[in-house]
Amino acid sequence: MNRDLFLGKLTIDAIPHHWYTIGATVSILFMGLIAALFLTKTRRWGWLWKEWLTSTDPKRIGTMYMIFALLMFFRGMIDAGMIWLQQTIAADSQGYLAADHFQQIFTSHGDIMVFFVTMGFFFGLMNWIVPLQIGARDLAFPFLNSLGFWLTAAGGILINLFFVIGGDFANTGWLAVAPLSELEFNPGVGVDYLIWSLQLSGLGSLLAGINFMVTIFKKRAPGMSLMKMPLFVWTSLCSTVLIISAFPVLTATLFLLWLDRFLGMHIFTVGLGGNQMLYFNFIWMWGHPEVYILILPAFGMYSEIVATFSQKRVFGYVSLVCAAIAITLLSFLVWLHHFFTMGAGADVNSFFGIVTLLIAIPTGVQIFNWILTMFRGRLTFASPMYWFMGFICVFTLGGMAGVLMASPPADFQVHNSLFLVAHFHTTIIGGALFGIFAGISYWFPKMTGFTLNEKLGKRAFWLWLIGFFVSFTPLYLLGFMGATRRLDHYAATTGWQPLYITSMVGFVIIICGLLTQIWQIIVSVRDRKQNLDTTGDPWNGRTLEWSTSSPPPFYNFALIPTVMSRDEFWRRKKEGLKKIKKYEDIELPKNTGMGIYISGFAFFMGFALVWQILLLAIVGLVGIIICLILRSLDQEAEYVLTAKEVKQIETMSAHG
Amino acid sequence: MKRSKLPLIIILAIIVAAVAIIFVLKSEYALLAHPKGIIAKNELKLIGTSYLLMLIIVIPTFIFLFITALRFRKGSKAKYDPEHSHGKFGEVILWIIPSIIIAPLAVITWYAAHDLDPYKPLTSEIKPLTIQVVALDWKWLFIYPEQGIATLNYFQIPERTPINLRLSADGSPMNSFWLPELSGQIYAMTGMTTQLHIMADEVGEYTGRAAEINGEGFASMTFVAKSTSESDFLNWVSWVKKSPLKLNSSTYDKLVLPSQNNPVAYYSYVENNLFNKIIDKYMHHE
Repeated sequence: MNRDLFLGKLTIDAIPHHWYTIGATVSILFMGLIAALFLTKTRRWGWLWKEWLTSTDPKRIGTMYMIFALLMFFRGMIDAGMIWLQQTIAADSQGYLAADHFQQIFTSHGDIMVFFVTMGFFFGLMNWIVPLQIGARDLAFPFLNSLGFWLTAAGGILINLFFVIGGDFANTGWLAVAPLSELEFNPGVGVDYLIWSLQLSGLGSLLAGINFMVTIFKKRAPGMSLMKMPLFVWTSLCSTVLIISAFPVLTATLFLLWLDRFLGMHIFTVGLGGNQMLYFNFIWMWGHPEVYILILPAFGMYSEIVATFSQKRVFGYVSLVCAAIAITLLSFLVWLHHFFTMGAGADVNSFFGIVTLLIAIPTGVQIFNWILTMFRGRLTFASPMYWFMGFICVFTLGGMAGVLMASPPADFQVHNSLFLVAHFHTTIIGGALFGIFAGISYWFPKMTGFTLNEKLGKRAFWLWLIGFFVSFTPLYLLGFMGATRRLDHYAATTGWQPLYITSMVGFVIIICGLLTQIWQIIVSVRDRKQNLDTTGDPWNGRTLEWSTSSPPPFYNFALIPTVMSRDEFWRRKKEGLKKIKKYEDIELPKNTGMGIYISGFAFFMGFALVWQILLLAIVGLVGIIICLILRSLDQEAEYVLTAKEVKQIETMSAHG
Repeated sequence: MKRSKLPLIIILAIIVAAVAIIFVLKSEYALLAHPKGIIAKNELKLIGTSYLLMLIIVIPTFIFLFITALRFRKGSKAKYDPEHSHGKFGEVILWIIPSIIIAPLAVITWYAAHDLDPYKPLTSEIKPLTIQVVALDWKWLFIYPEQGIATLNYFQIPERTPINLRLSADGSPMNSFWLPELSGQIYAMTGMTTQLHIMADEVGEYTGRAAEINGEGFASMTFVAKSTSESDFLNWVSWVKKSPLKLNSSTYDKLVLPSQNNPVAYYSYVENNLFNKIIDKYMHHE
């Protein structure tokens, strides 16, 4: 392999030359230009840098996570639309995409939706809500939080950079399965883009996971024992335990794959002692816990929402906690069910099948607990509750398909088919994505100070729900018709096309739902004066985040609350809220640009390793190390807000 | 006003969806719903049993959910008890209910996984036929070691005869062999052998495909399996024996090179022990 010292594998061919890369490049540059013009015109560069980009306030970082996830969501949805369109028209023809390009699109669709959209939204919500719910002012490691976000963002930029430089992404499916991802079958840089963008964002996720775990263990308000934590905090904790245990496996696996590709090792190759089955085991040892990393925080949100809108304490708190812990543990014992068809033998397959079945028990318990929470409640159906009801219906159907596939012989027939694709979309959309929508509409007033437009929110829900069923029911059926996933074209004699078309119609309905949501946000911002949340507690909430003003002051709590009950704020409202008499000094983290600098160097290192520009990679690494040293020498990472200032802010906000 | 119509709309939607689903599953295109071999038939039965067992618990849960949602709406006269909770006993029951369904499913899974183990030979009075399957980029090679013939992207079998498939791949990334009307999938991997045992209950032509992503030619990597009477099969073997194409190491080396949309081909001769040689290529003895 020719490798230039300064340019690595980078040559003039890397500039965009396909219609889609040129189109993407132009639109990326165009959007960047508009944003830059806007910032310059309104003189907001300094504001952006000081108030947002360098912020260590978890609320600000949470908002940035969610904006980032939303941008990536648009990207992922465009991918989804391109996949659907291709499959709609590609009966007995090649459609409008070549096979290789089609394969790149479903690969990036999967990676973006899992790593950047779902995880991005969850980290955003966790940043906002976890500190507020545990009565903390910030996370245990505010700088690490900023660094984690920026590393994730760096990964997100890198995964989109191939449009501009290189023009090819991996065509291997989202997990970069070896040996297809090996140099022999994928000599280009597409797989390297996948590897390094996931390495960066994976590192970001790991740092965030550690941070939240320590925060939940160490920063809880006095009196809040583990069994008094709100359920969202519990499931977030379980999720972070999974992140900390599983993400190193992903990092190691991708690193080994990269060694194969860069140093010509033979860990997962075909032949020369490489073992492709090892890759499947490794990647799913991370991959299965990963799906619970995505779903557990959503479970916690549903617990909060259903209790609030039932005006009643959650039913079976202990059961819900035990269920979350059981799922956490079991999720590490089921990875082999992703490849029953590898021929492991009946005993091994049965073991993993039965453990998979066991997961249905805690999941079922949770659903019963939620319904029983509604029982004898006083239900109001605001839009978060709509998402919750939609979730139970959709997720249960997806769970049934999951239980079915836990049986190895049944799995033999539907493995790798569209039935499987429909299954995991049902659980991830119905579970995680609906959870994100529920969470956002639930906590939106807390974050912004005004509520979202309810009418449009409900309309969006119906469009999503109907669109979901119209687009994914055909996929279940297509699985039964023998359609495998990832087909760029198929014979018309298979009779699949009408169902693919139906599915496409469903996608259009979903897009209408998404547009309604965007319109909902625009309308809500426009009419915010009418929808102001002046109380800080628009839903008659139960947990501590509702005891703050909406939006909360940057220090969250003027006085750290002392907790006596699971539903602390509910208890306080019943016993009568007390006014704060004496304020105290507050110590807060200073803003720092170090997270951006380190992630910037990490980005260059990742980019350099994609193209094997060793010199630049070393520059990136040295830069990271120097920044880390500088940061650790900084003794004044905090500043003090005096009691007087706090009192001033508090009285000001109380009066206006 | 709208609210009172909602349950009706939901019920109507469920009925329409159910009719549409049944209509599709009844059509001949729904391969999994019309199995033509014993293995696929049993797999379908397992799918049906699992779904029925799950519905026993899921349907009441849905009904309970919607009744609760309607009955305890704010403004209704139903009892409101903000501290309503459980005894410990109540919580234990909640764990038992799903376990009641999962326990039989676990037992079924254990027995089904052993009964329908792809490595388990099928019992029959008729002598089984062995076919060796090699996944190549992007075509399927079928070798009949006993008959000394081979075919590409097509294979023929006698009906009601147990077929012992031995699968491998050559240089190709991981592959999955799927012939839905006769059986579920098994991987075909370079340097490895896997096994699958199938039997066709009737005469017919069945389409199969590669089910694991393996590169550019993935979508068109299909094949046809034709099941005929015993005598037709023997006639076909002797017909193939007259084919001018032969599979020796030089023609095989050309065949291994990546290619797409290869037409069906018949080889009247196969080099002795070719299948084992293909696997041995990747065995490295220190």
